[in-house]
Amino acid sequence: MHFFSQSFHYDHPWTHVVIGMWHKYPNSKCTHVVSIDTIDRTVDPVTGIIRTERLMGCKQKAPIWIVKLFGGSEDAFVREISFVDPATQNVTITSVNLSLSQFATCYEQIRYTPLPSHQTLFTQTAEIQARMALWRSAADGLEKWLVQRFEQNAHLGKLGFTDVLRNLWEERHRAHSSS
Amino acid sequence: MSQSLSSECTPLKKEYDSCFNSWFEGYLEPAVANSKSPEVRAAYSKQKADEFNLKCGKIWEQYRTCVQVQQAVKEKGLDKLLQQAREENPLVDPIPPLPTQPSSK
Repeated sequence: MHFFSQSFHYDHPWTHVVIGMWHKYPNSKCTHVVSIDTIDRTVDPVTGIIRTERLMGCKQKAPIWIVKLFGGSEDAFVREISFVDPATQNVTITSVNLSLSQFATCYEQIRYTPLPSHQTLFTQTAEIQARMALWRSAADGLEKWLVQRFEQNAHLGKLGFTDVLRNLWEERHRAHSSS
Repeated sequence: MSQSLSSECTPLKKEYDSCFNSWFEGYLEPAVANSKSPEVRAAYSKQKADEFNLKCGKIWEQYRTCVQVQQAVKEKGLDKLLQQAREENPLVDPIPPLPTQPSSK
């Protein structure tokens, strides 16, 4: 498991940052984000909390060995869930990769919270983890297959060499007795 | 404004995003101001939630149909991945503020 975290502040009040977050893409520095679709959104009529679920499409060249090993492609999709709570002035954004998720997960959490003097604190953490259980079961499967193949081949080897020996010496005996 | 994952849905997506953004920009600051008591907050939230559905409900339905019902999501094999991700991690409840966060009020 690998961790990543950083925090810094923006020189804009919290409400401006939160309005701005819906305009974050496209931007010239983040051309890897090519599509964004809202797939669910609710406004809670009691708490006023807005929950948004989005699907982001990214295009980023992966190293060739990753593409070959995992059959990935240039297109990667991420599921993002955000909560905007005006009462506590708290925004959280959680993102999890959908593509290659059978092999590894990248779980990212972002928060925007107000600071005094009209600034906004941004904090970001990420956990990147390969699915060890899956690796293990794949490795087990591979071992089993190899053992089976080995046993099969060993058995065939015995049968084959038995034939070879019999043929060789029967032939030699015939040759010897007829000479 | 960014594209939809399926280009034929992009016009609907843009219209929906514009609708949400204009509602949201009118919503947010008064929502902060109206959160001093649970009663005031609930009254404001209810009014604005209804307003959002009234304003953006129709375009949302069209946009949702385009992306999620008409193939776009299925074509890319995302429906299964999405279902799996939702089962594993529903994320339906808001994540609480950090204890160290300066209280807003």
